[in-house]
Amino acid sequence: MNEMSKAAPIAALEPAGPEISPQLRAITIVVVVGLVSIVIALTCGGYWLSNFTQAYCMALAVLGCALLYGQLGLVSLCQWALVGAGGWVALRVYHYIHPPFFVTILSGGVGASVIGMIWGLPALRMRGLYLALVTLMLAAAFQSLVTVISFPVGGPGFLGQVGASGNDRINMARPIFAASDTGYFLYVAVVTVLCIFLVEAHRRSKPGRAWALIRKNEQMAAAAGVRIVFYKAWAFALSGFLAGVAGALLAGLFGQLDASAFPTTSSIVIFIGTLLGGYDVWLGAFLGGVLTRFIPALLIDLNVNTNVGFMIFGAALLFALRDPLGLGGQLTILAERLYGKFQAQRA
Amino acid sequence: MIKIDALTVRFGGIKPLDALEAQFTAPICGLIGPNGAGKTTLLNVLSGFVTPLEGTILLDEASLLKLSPRRRVNLGLRRTFQQELVVDELTAVENIQAIADHVSADYASARREVASALDFVGLSSRRNVLGRHLNLYDRRMVEIAKTLIGRPKVILMDEPGAGLNEAETEQLRRLLMEIPSTFDTQLVLIDHDADLIASVCVETLVLDFGKRLAMGPTRAVLDDPVVRHAYLGRE
Repeated sequence: MNEMSKAAPIAALEPAGPEISPQLRAITIVVVVGLVSIVIALTCGGYWLSNFTQAYCMALAVLGCALLYGQLGLVSLCQWALVGAGGWVALRVYHYIHPPFFVTILSGGVGASVIGMIWGLPALRMRGLYLALVTLMLAAAFQSLVTVISFPVGGPGFLGQVGASGNDRINMARPIFAASDTGYFLYVAVVTVLCIFLVEAHRRSKPGRAWALIRKNEQMAAAAGVRIVFYKAWAFALSGFLAGVAGALLAGLFGQLDASAFPTTSSIVIFIGTLLGGYDVWLGAFLGGVLTRFIPALLIDLNVNTNVGFMIFGAALLFALRDPLGLGGQLTILAERLYGKFQAQRA
Repeated sequence: MIKIDALTVRFGGIKPLDALEAQFTAPICGLIGPNGAGKTTLLNVLSGFVTPLEGTILLDEASLLKLSPRRRVNLGLRRTFQQELVVDELTAVENIQAIADHVSADYASARREVASALDFVGLSSRRNVLGRHLNLYDRRMVEIAKTLIGRPKVILMDEPGAGLNEAETEQLRRLLMEIPSTFDTQLVLIDHDADLIASVCVETLVLDFGKRLAMGPTRAVLDDPVVRHAYLGRE
């Protein structure tokens, strides 16, 4: 040890928070999502169970959006279009080769991942408003395209369409052990937890550190030897994968997908959900996703025009701008403080 | 060793560097000059962030100018920036690990180098403190530790002492003097603190309006009346 390291340490500005191990973090994810899911599975049925299943799919889409915004500061407004793209690929693969359900989901994820990476190419040169507008235009392009070609329903040819009557439509089958609505909801919950683990593993390893450097300062990242293009493309691919998995799960929920369910505006709602929930913690993405589906579902249940939902999101966004941590960030800080006190008491 | 020949940089009608000739051979070299003299531009050219109009730069006989910033890092070039750039959300060790991920030979050597760099700058006991909880001195130490990873050949430091108080600057001075011998590397230091430069640097290059005003042993350069007039504002 040299002379420097023997010098008296200079006090930090604030004391550090308690160290939370990756194992404890993983247990927290399983316990929180598990408990919420069990309560929903035991208390909800029909309409609400379907909506909460969709909400978990939304949460996966928000998780991808939060990854781009939180880790790299990139605003992507085509996330819901990528959900649609993943659903399209999953349905196409299912009707071609009828693979096991999990493989179908993976195919949706990989398909959207490739598309997401290609759509992310502008991000290599753009940031901020320009990137947001370009991705929004891509979402609009997807909406137009899918309205024309529609989703595969088991017909012949690449597009897999059937006659005008639609009587020959084939639904995508769910796994046998998750054939019921409750079973499928719990299946989606397990996939959601696995996807949160995937993102957390990235955030706490080499790609996460590279993303943190890029977000801080691209020149500094380059001076640290980071391959900026590669790691940005990786983030877009992972974000697309999450959206694609969400699309495949939605296809499994309904058996088929409708082109009208993928409007451009939904991608904006996904981004609002990202801000409301908080983009720096997994809980934010989970809550943001659930809220973006729960509020419209509640309005429908109360027989109120769903456009009121946009007003609610707009008002909530005003509060979110004052607190960039979002709902999930605030709850995480609260939980960490409680954990710190618990640790102090034990010590 | 860095050798610079006929280096010219032009931004529109301005020439931040004008036919610059210099050679950094000493273990610790200083780079000083008034504001706008072209010091940071020179560092940016060396790092690959600014493309010169003409000229050559050799790092141990290897031509730098055709290499991307990342290739220069792989060649052994490291740098810090004027503004400290510690990532708030990463711990001290993660900030250093973030560069080891890309420049160390393998995982084992990355761990070893990170531990050694942390120990050298005196941050071993605070390795798990988040960047946002570190004070300015510790953040500067993290920045320096980052440059020590992966067997660097040359480390460029842009005002590492900015914002530090007298006691901290003294600690920094002792640390900088140990770097070349401990890590078998060369240090090129920009700083406005003439005392720091005088006490640490063996030789110093003085820039003024992008041109070389003087170069040689630091004490002789700082005592040069031309330098004192241009840089220190007194004869």
